Amino acid sequence: MTELVQTTDLVILVYFLALNSFYALLLVLSIPEIWEQTRLAEDDDFQRLMQSDALPPITILVPAHNEQATIEASVTAILTLEYRNYEVVVVNDGSQDGTLEALRHAFDLYEVPRTYPETLPTRTLRALYRSRTRTRLLVIDKENGGKADSLNTAINASRFPLVIAVDADTLIEPDALLRLTRPFLLGREIAAVGGTVRVANGCVVEHGRVTDARVPRHFLPGVQVVEYLRAFLFGRLGWNRLGGNLIISGAFGLFRKDHLLAVGGYHSSSIVEDLDLVVRLHRYLRLRKIPYEISFIPDPVAWTEVPESARVLARQRERWHRGLIAAMWEYKGMLLNPRYGRVGLVAVPFYTFGEMLAPLVEVLGYVITVAGAAAGVVSTSFALLFMLVAWGYGMLLSLWAVVLEEVSFRRYRRLGDLARLVLFAMLENFGYRQRTVWWRLRAFFTVWRQRAVWGEMTRKGFEATGKQVAG
Amino acid sequence: MTSRQFLAIVGLVQGVLLASLIVLIVLNRWFRLRRRARVHPRRLAVDAVMQRWALGQADVGMVLLRLARLPAPLAVDALVSWSARVPGDRWQRLAATLAHQWWARLVRANSGSARWWKRLETARFLSIAAVPADTARVLKLLRDPHPAVHIAAVATLERLESAALATAALERLPKLAPTVGAYYAGMLRRSRPVVVQLLLKMLRRTDDPALARLAEFAARLQEPALRERLTALADHRDPEVRTQAVRGLGSYPHAESIATLTRAAAAAEWSVRAQAVRSLGMLGDPQTLPLVQAALRDPEWWVRLRAGLALTRFGPPGRNALLEADVGPDQNARDMAHLMLGLSTQALAEFAA
Repeated sequence: MTELVQTTDLVILVYFLALNSFYALLLVLSIPEIWEQTRLAEDDDFQRLMQSDALPPITILVPAHNEQATIEASVTAILTLEYRNYEVVVVNDGSQDGTLEALRHAFDLYEVPRTYPETLPTRTLRALYRSRTRTRLLVIDKENGGKADSLNTAINASRFPLVIAVDADTLIEPDALLRLTRPFLLGREIAAVGGTVRVANGCVVEHGRVTDARVPRHFLPGVQVVEYLRAFLFGRLGWNRLGGNLIISGAFGLFRKDHLLAVGGYHSSSIVEDLDLVVRLHRYLRLRKIPYEISFIPDPVAWTEVPESARVLARQRERWHRGLIAAMWEYKGMLLNPRYGRVGLVAVPFYTFGEMLAPLVEVLGYVITVAGAAAGVVSTSFALLFMLVAWGYGMLLSLWAVVLEEVSFRRYRRLGDLARLVLFAMLENFGYRQRTVWWRLRAFFTVWRQRAVWGEMTRKGFEATGKQVAG
Repeated sequence: MTSRQFLAIVGLVQGVLLASLIVLIVLNRWFRLRRRARVHPRRLAVDAVMQRWALGQADVGMVLLRLARLPAPLAVDALVSWSARVPGDRWQRLAATLAHQWWARLVRANSGSARWWKRLETARFLSIAAVPADTARVLKLLRDPHPAVHIAAVATLERLESAALATAALERLPKLAPTVGAYYAGMLRRSRPVVVQLLLKMLRRTDDPALARLAEFAARLQEPALRERLTALADHRDPEVRTQAVRGLGSYPHAESIATLTRAAAAAEWSVRAQAVRSLGMLGDPQTLPLVQAALRDPEWWVRLRAGLALTRFGPPGRNALLEADVGPDQNARDMAHLMLGLSTQALAEFAA
């Protein structure tokens, strides 16, 4: 028995060592990537090129469900982006609040007939509206069918070859679209490209724009700032070099429409649409040997409100993990399959054994270590070593993410914000990490029972005008 | 080694790394603030002296002195931002003087660097300060494999007239991604006489796979000398070439253009029809109004959209045609007319852009 406990504990220790070492590898790979990206982001000639007439036209897809509080500010901000050739398709997905009325009032909508075919099947459309004041805007009112269904509706209505899905509660920086098109200007075979999503809580928002980036004072949103930095600044940048980015954020990702149509658009049955879509894109493009890249670039920024209450955060994290489990199960044929290249041999195994199984292994590790130490079968030294590997390493990685932010974009200018970032990076592993592990663990028990339609979240909303502190 | 010793070593290593990272964060912030405090006043001094020099109140020697006090990348940045605000002849004199500066020689020497960002710095510098002696260097940068470098290098055409550079850029243009190609085209427009002569030759190579891109560029130039070649290309076998040629003919109010566009409006390919209708709208010949009105019934939405927008350019007769279509028997024409009539003048301009 003692031997079994010790062996299991050792296996778990090695698992964490391997997992955190892989994260460290991602971090190392992200350094040259962030170096190159910051150089290009600062290049004036490139910015001049990005402001030329010939930029690829883009359709912005904005699915909205019960977004009355934020819809006007969000759509106004989207309509004033620094980009020459784009249109905005807002889909009101059977909202029960005044979302459509708010749009109608703000943008002087009038009804128009449908003038395009239904390429992707969707729920019944009720009406289409154009704006008398904003010609780039098309509003579609439809029966409730979920976020994926709304996105498919918007794709059907889109006129342009590139589409970007944006959450109605997301604030996009004015030059973010310009920056997002950079890989296309570099002549690369881009299938999809994602930008950075940052936490808006605590920031000063004026007229739908974040004018002063701040780190929230409260622990829960504050620690999520560090999480987002870690996920975007070295996680996804590192995957660029490994060629297997599996996630392009649903809140801010640009896709080639022909590829989206070829894979059948978003799946209404998927729990997390973005992950599901990107894995399907990889599968489709790899099987057909179409050269492609699914990239992440860090300087285009969209700001989003994150949950401030543990209850909402728990629901969000559980849903994300359910989505991950469902996607890994559905595309298990790609696991360790050399036909899918680095995606099948590195990315999918990492997301399956690393990301998906991590909560199970971590909880098992805690239980065995604590119980083993109490029963005297695991030495105190070993238990402490386990903690150091699981938590200490994690803390180092979080601090590295703060370092990357500091040497590259430095959005948080004040020393107080920097101090809070460092503090949250260090405190994250004591309590918060264990709670997220528990929320993610619950997903294993609910994954087969539930299918999500909209990731519901209580939001305070950004005001259409005037100054406010978000979150 | 005992387990306690191993634990101590792991703990110590992690502790040291943790402390190092925190020190790194603090030092980085401190270093940047200090650097900014040191460099920012110098940059302001450069701006101030540039301002005075631009107004003729300061000597060029003062500008060079201030520039030399900045780190080379910041000096290049300052030059790039001021280059757009100073008249060409005055700027050329500064460029000629800069050729002898030690730091400028160092920047030039980086054109052969193995690091792309060094070459980029050189390309940016030469784009605003190249002299005829730099032609070979710029040619090399124009052929650079890194897109950021050759994109910066092509901007040299704005300030340095050189047939060799224009030819190299024009030859590269059809192989570039559309957006980058459009940027090149913008730069090449500055060397119009050389480019037009070259284009006249290139547009005769009817089997050239790059013909469509060249025709697109020729159309953007709106150069009278190119009208005949574009008219000839409107009957080319490749629909993409025809599309570009027909698009270009909208800038040439000429009887031949109208005859060619009238033929193209009945083409089998919708992309050709859409551009033909658009160009007819730009020319606004009243005799073609019924043809454009008929295009409102086209099976392709894009052609109908172009027809609707084109009709708005015909003035009151075009509006009457839209009103007629709005109550007419054809559903497609009705929908498009309804859409057009619902838009304000400003909205129409925005829609057509």
